Amino acid sequence: MILQIIGALFASFFFGILFNVSKKELLYCGFIGGFGWFIYLNFLTLTNSIVFSSFLGTLGVSILSRIFAKIRKVPVTIFLISGIIPLVPGAGMYRTMYAMLEKNFEDSSFYGIQTLQIAGVIAIAIIFTSSFPFISKNKGV
Amino acid sequence: MNHKMLLKFAIKAGEIMLKSGAETYRVEDTIIRILSVYNLDVVEAFVTPTGIFATIDDETIEMITFTKRIKNRSIRLDKVSLVNDLSRQFVAGKISLKDAIKKLDEIDKTPPYPSYIFIGATAFASTFSTAVFGGNIKDCIISLFIGIALGSVQTFFNKTNTSRFFIDLIGGGLIGFLAILFTNFIPSANLDQIIIGCIMPLVPGVAITNAVRDTIEGDLLSGISKGVEAFFVAVSIATGVGIILKIWFMLKQGGFL
Repeated sequence: MILQIIGALFASFFFGILFNVSKKELLYCGFIGGFGWFIYLNFLTLTNSIVFSSFLGTLGVSILSRIFAKIRKVPVTIFLISGIIPLVPGAGMYRTMYAMLEKNFEDSSFYGIQTLQIAGVIAIAIIFTSSFPFISKNKGV
Repeated sequence: MNHKMLLKFAIKAGEIMLKSGAETYRVEDTIIRILSVYNLDVVEAFVTPTGIFATIDDETIEMITFTKRIKNRSIRLDKVSLVNDLSRQFVAGKISLKDAIKKLDEIDKTPPYPSYIFIGATAFASTFSTAVFGGNIKDCIISLFIGIALGSVQTFFNKTNTSRFFIDLIGGGLIGFLAILFTNFIPSANLDQIIIGCIMPLVPGVAITNAVRDTIEGDLLSGISKGVEAFFVAVSIATGVGIILKIWFMLKQGGFL
């Protein structure tokens, strides 16, 4: 599990480079990605629900991104985009397609709906923290 | 006071941000903040992912409207943050309009990370994504090589101004092909984990995140268009990988291999 979290940390770091995040912020991007995956994995073992864990993982990522954006005085997107990447349901997309190729439509609709659910809860989790007014609406952050 | 210059500055700042992958509402917000510096009666900006429109009017001047069409986009979050900083400094009065324009040109010319770093980052992003999704050490090493190939292909096509969807289609196909090739020769390597890890650099994370954030801020038009973009990118990747896998299945079933 520790290995996976370190993997997520490095993955987010390198995704930061792909999105041309400036050098100063890269480490923070990596940290946020690792943190999100840490929450996701812990709740996955606890509740065994991928959708719920994705929700909490994204919630963690977006709260931390907002805090870091405030501290580092950069737009919150920079941290949010790189940090969320490990949680984006790429695996679900692949499994949906794979099952479809095998003409296994039962699996394919199961994975397809799960992918949509994950995408949905990720969206809701971002909305949840972005519209929460606790860190004043300092526009531009 | 030079209103035309101010409007041009605001539009240019917005253009750079929009091209670099900022959320639409942030671009709108930045333009309006810059234009509000002169305390004009009418300050309006309307931004969509493909164009910027802004108008200023006051009793003392003729009404000025400026339209800017945005064509090619790339993800340059460093520029977003730099322009964001600059516009704040300008609005706070810490920097004059002339200096701001000069600085904006400099920001526009900031080079991205060099190609070899981009390719390396793609390779390592694939490697670590494979690790995250439970691949073993062999899978990770295979992903490293596929990542290098993917990064090189992307750099090549990016230089030729090819459509993003086509690049994703080709990228997906390449990943599928190489993953099948490697897993056939290397025992105990997992096809699934390798493919999932390697498609992560192509997955439209920016479009998804921005679609959501634009929608929250009430920019529904942009939210929808970014959502559609994300959907088609996802379909492109899946098609690319899918075609190769389908061919592979058919060859296997046909007993050719």
